[in-house]
Amino acid sequence: MSHRLPAPLGDVIDRSSVISFTWNGKKLQGFEGDTIASALLANGEHILGRSMKYHRPRGVLTADFWDPNTTVQVDDEPNVRASHRKLADGMAVSAQNVWPSLKFDVKAANGLVGRFLTAGFYYKTFMKPAKLWPAYEHVLAKFAPGGSVDLDTPHGRYDKRHAHPDVVVAGGGPSGMAAALAAAEAGSSVMLVEHEHQLGGHLLWGSNDDRAAANELAAACAAAGVEILTNSTVAGRYEDNWISISQRSHPGVIERLIKARGKTLVGAAGTIERPYVFQGNDLPGVMTSGAAQRLIRMYGVKPGTRAVVFTANESGDSAVEALQSAGISIARVVDARAGEGITSASGSKSRVKRVTLSDGTTVECDLLVTAVGWTTPTSLLNMAGDRPVYDADAARFFPAGPPDNVLATGGMIGDGSRDELIAHGRATGELAAGRAAVVRHRLQAATARAAAVDGPEPDYPADERTPLDRAQHPELYRSTTHGIVDYSEDVSSKDLFSAAGEGFDSVELIKRFTTATMGPSQGKLETVNTVAVLAEARNETIAEVGTTVWRPPYAPISLGALAGRINEPTRVSVLQPWHEANGATPILAGQWVRPEHYGDPAAEVRNTRTNVGIIDVTPLGKLDLQGPDVPKLLNLLYTNKWMALPIGGVRYGLMCAEDGVVLDDGVTARLGEEHYLMTTTSSGAAKIWNWIEMWLQTEHPDWQVHVTPVTTGLTSINIAGPNSRELLGRLTTDIDLDPTAFPYMNVRRGTIAGVQNCIAWRIGFTGELSYEIHVPSGHAVHVWEQLLDQGADLGVKAFGLEAQRIMRLEKGHFIVGQDTDGLSKAPVTGLNPLLKLDKDDWAGMPEVAWTMESGDHPVIVACQPDNGSVVPEEAAQILRAGTTEIVGRITSSRMSPTLNRSICLAQVTKEFAAPGTSLEVLLVSGERITATVQEHHAHFDPEGARLRG
Amino acid sequence: MVEITHLDASPDTRVPKASVRAADGTAAAATLGLNFGSAEQRGETLVVRIRPDEWYLLGDGAPAMAAGLDLSGFASTVDISHSRTAVRITGDCAADTLSKLGSADFSDHMTPNGAALGNGIAGVTCDIVRDDQRGVRSYLLLLDGSFITYFLGALHDAASEF
Repeated sequence: MSHRLPAPLGDVIDRSSVISFTWNGKKLQGFEGDTIASALLANGEHILGRSMKYHRPRGVLTADFWDPNTTVQVDDEPNVRASHRKLADGMAVSAQNVWPSLKFDVKAANGLVGRFLTAGFYYKTFMKPAKLWPAYEHVLAKFAPGGSVDLDTPHGRYDKRHAHPDVVVAGGGPSGMAAALAAAEAGSSVMLVEHEHQLGGHLLWGSNDDRAAANELAAACAAAGVEILTNSTVAGRYEDNWISISQRSHPGVIERLIKARGKTLVGAAGTIERPYVFQGNDLPGVMTSGAAQRLIRMYGVKPGTRAVVFTANESGDSAVEALQSAGISIARVVDARAGEGITSASGSKSRVKRVTLSDGTTVECDLLVTAVGWTTPTSLLNMAGDRPVYDADAARFFPAGPPDNVLATGGMIGDGSRDELIAHGRATGELAAGRAAVVRHRLQAATARAAAVDGPEPDYPADERTPLDRAQHPELYRSTTHGIVDYSEDVSSKDLFSAAGEGFDSVELIKRFTTATMGPSQGKLETVNTVAVLAEARNETIAEVGTTVWRPPYAPISLGALAGRINEPTRVSVLQPWHEANGATPILAGQWVRPEHYGDPAAEVRNTRTNVGIIDVTPLGKLDLQGPDVPKLLNLLYTNKWMALPIGGVRYGLMCAEDGVVLDDGVTARLGEEHYLMTTTSSGAAKIWNWIEMWLQTEHPDWQVHVTPVTTGLTSINIAGPNSRELLGRLTTDIDLDPTAFPYMNVRRGTIAGVQNCIAWRIGFTGELSYEIHVPSGHAVHVWEQLLDQGADLGVKAFGLEAQRIMRLEKGHFIVGQDTDGLSKAPVTGLNPLLKLDKDDWAGMPEVAWTMESGDHPVIVACQPDNGSVVPEEAAQILRAGTTEIVGRITSSRMSPTLNRSICLAQVTKEFAAPGTSLEVLLVSGERITATVQEHHAHFDPEGARLRG
Repeated sequence: MVEITHLDASPDTRVPKASVRAADGTAAAATLGLNFGSAEQRGETLVVRIRPDEWYLLGDGAPAMAAGLDLSGFASTVDISHSRTAVRITGDCAADTLSKLGSADFSDHMTPNGAALGNGIAGVTCDIVRDDQRGVRSYLLLLDGSFITYFLGALHDAASEF
C-alpha cells in the first residue's frame, strides 16, 4: 500500500484488519473500512475504468457514491460502485468494458474517430438502410458498456419491509442528524436515512471539531431511539409521503426495499460538489476537493504527489490544508475569487501531467483538485411537486417551496457554519415532529381500530424557522475549452453545443438527445453543468433554461430489491397430502396445486366410465348466500331465471360482465327458504365474490343478502360413474338416493361416512351418473378414504384433473376462459335458451341482446378431425379452405379414450357452424387437416342417458 | 424472538369459528356490539367486529354463542371453522415480522391490543386481531385454510431474521 498515509489520517479504516483482494488478477491488500477505490488508490492504482464511449482512462473523481468513473466488476456482480462499496476479503475486482486489458484497451480507438461520434450518432448513422440494422446491432452490442452477467449466479436474497414512521429524514449530515434528534426528542418515531456508510456528511472530512461533533450527534440520535439506516438511500417520494428507501446495509440480504409512509419528510441531502468543464477534465488525477479530502482524511490515501488546486470556495481552501497535511506538494493554488482560472489539463494516458492556467502559464503536477461550486440535490423535493429556482449570486438552484409535509434543511436551502446548520436542523426537526403529530392525531381519529386520540387536535405548527443565509459564489461551470459534462455517458460540452446548434433548445430535449444526465449518477453531477452549457450555447441565462424534472429513483435501485422476497401464494385442498402420497403428478391450476393424474389419465377415464371414480374438486368456488333477496340477486347476475327455484333444486347459470362477455358459470342450489349455495369456476371464485359484493354494495344496498365464501371450508368430491349411486349409498343412511327421490339437478343435505352437515348434489361435469359431495374440510380425508375403502369392490379409483378434462370434452361441456375468451359474448356459447331477454334486466343483457340481434358472432361447436388419430393443438387456426383467412380456432382438443379418436371444441364463425361443415385446421407443423362439425356439443352420450340414469 | 403457531394444525387444536352477519338494529348486532375494528374476549369466545356488519366468534364458546343469537331481522351465521384457519404470531418482533409482509401500521397507536383489521399478508387476505398474550405482543391471523402451507413458509421466512 505504497500510497497509504500514516495515522491519524484515515478515520474510517482499521489498520489492524488487513483485507486481501485482487485487481484484474493482481493480489493486493487494503484495510477494513476501505472502499474498493480507496484500497486501489492506496496501492497506486489510479486508473479504475474506461469511459463508456471513447474508452478514455478514468480515475477517481468524487470518491463517493456518485463517482462516475469507478464502476467495476466484483466477482460475478457487474456495475459495482468502487468508490462506495466497502472492500471485503477475497473480492476479485476487475475493470469492466475493456478489451483486452484496462491499460491497453483496443476500444479506445473510438477516441480516434470521436469527432464523428457526436450526439445522435447512432440515430443518424444506423437507421438506413434498415435491412442492415441486425448487422449493426450485432457489432454495436460488442461496445455496450457494463460488466458481465453470469446467468448461473444464484439469485441472492432480497427483502422488503413496510414502515410508518412519523418523520423520515433523508440525509445524515449535521442538519439531518440534528433534525432527527430534535424530532425524536419531541416524541416522534424517526427514521434517519444516510446514503453513505456513516453519519456525519461533510463533517467526516472536516476538522477534528467537525468529526467530534458528528460523532456526538450520531450517538445522540442512537440514544434518542432514532432508527438509523446507513448505506441506504431515500429513492423516491410519492403521494402522501409514500417514501421508498433502498437499504443496502441490512444483515443477511443484498438489498432491502423499505416502503415507508412518513407523516413528514425532511430533505437534508446537503450539496453535491460539481466538477468543472474544461479540456482534460476527465484525466485520472483530476478530482473534486471533496474527493481529495475524503481520500486523505477518511481513508488515509495519498491521491498524488504534486497538486494544483483550483478553488472558488472554502472547500478548496480546506483541500489545500488536507493536501499539505498529507505531505503533498502544492504546485499552485488558482483562486477563482481573485479572477484566476484554468483552461486545460493534459498528460499521459495514465494521469494528468500539467495544467494550463487562464494566463497561459503551465504548471506541472500529477493531481488537479477543483472546487467550483455545488449542486443542490433537490430530487425528493421535486418529486413532491417543487420546482427549483436558480440563484445566480449563490451559483446554485434552491427549492422554491415544497408542500407542508416536506421540509428541507441544511445545504439544500442555504449555507452556514456547523453550528448554524445544526441549529437549523433542530428547528426543522421540531417543526417536522409538530406537523407529524397533527397527521398522527388525524389518522388515529379517522381509523376505527386505532387507539383513542389524546385530547383535541394540536395546532398545525407554522414555519417560523430562521432561514439559512446563502453564501455568494462565483458562477463557474465551463472554462474556455470543451470538456466532459457527463462522465457516465461520455457527453462533452462540445456535444451539447452541437445539439443546441441543431435546434435542441429545451433542456429536456437535449437530455434525451445527448443522454447527458441519464447515466448512473442520474444527473447529480451533470444536470447543472448541462443546463449551464446549454444556456451558454443559446446565450440565455441558467434561470431561463431551468432544470430537467428529477423523478424517482434518486439513486439506482436493484430489480432484486424491487421484487423483494418471491411470495407467490399457492393453495391446496386438505386432500393434497393424500394425492401426493398416492403418486399424483401435481399441476398448478391458477393458485391451486392439484393432482393432474395418478399415472395414466386415459385409464382413469375408462375406469370412471366403466366403474366409478372420485376426484377432488375442492377448488370449485363456493359461496354461501343467505337472505330473502337472494333470488333477485341470482336473477340479476345469471342470464336465466331464478325466482322459482324450489328448495332442493339446482340450476345451471351463465354470468356475463356488463359488456355481455361470459364472466363465469356454475350451478347454484337452494338449500333452504333463504339459503343458497353458489358454485363458480375454480379460478373465478374470488372474482365472483367481488362481483356480487359490487352489485350489492353499489347498486342494490337495499337487498338483504349475505355472502360468505366457503370454498375451502367444504372439501368437494365428485363421485362419477355407473357405480357412483351404489358407492354413495354405502356411506349414507339419511339421503335417499333413489332416482325419483333424488333426481338429476337436485341437492340434499345429510350424513356421509358419519360426517354430518354434508351436502350432496346430483350433477356432473363428466357426463356420468355422478354426485358431488361437499364435506366439512376437517373430515374430508376420512370421507375420501371411506369412499375408496367401501368402493373397492365397485372398482373405485381416484382420477385427476386431466381425466376430468377429457371427460368433460367428451361430454361437450365448455370451460369459461378456455373455450371462451375475453371477447366471447354469451351467444358464443350456443346456450341461447338460457339467455332470457324477457327478464327485466340482468348484467350484460343489453349487449347480449344487441349481439343476438346482429347475429354477428362466432359460436362454439364440437368437431372431429376426419383422421381420428390426429389431435390438433389447442389454439390451432381454422382457415377458409385453401386460403389463409382465419375463420376460427380449436379451443379444446384431446384423444378420447372412450371413443378412441380425437375430439375438439372450436370457435368458428357462423358460416362454418352448421353440423356437417368441413373445417380446415392448420397444425403447428404447417400441415392442414380437415375436421367435421358435429350435431351436438357432446361427442359422447348426447342424450344424457348416463347422466340422468 | 417470534413464535408462530398454526392453531388449526390438528383436529384436537382446531379453533371453532363462526361468522355472524347482522345489519344495524338487529338483535344479533345489539348483542354482539363492539366498535368496528375491535375485539373482546367473552368467556371462551373471542368476539371480533371485523367489518361493520360482520363479527367473528372464535374459540370453544363460538358454536354455542352463534346458536344462541337471535337472528331475527336481517342476520345470519355461517360456520367457518373449516374455511378459515388461525395462526398466532407472538413475540416482541411479531409486528416487525408482519410489516415485512403487509402494509398495515402495526404500531401501538394505530393497532393497539384489541384492534382488528384486514390486511394482505404475503399476498394472502388476512383478518388480524391484536390479541396480546400475558402482556406479550401477539396477533391472531385468520386466513383461507387452503393457503396455510404457503403462508406458514412465508411467515417463517420473514421471521427468520428475528
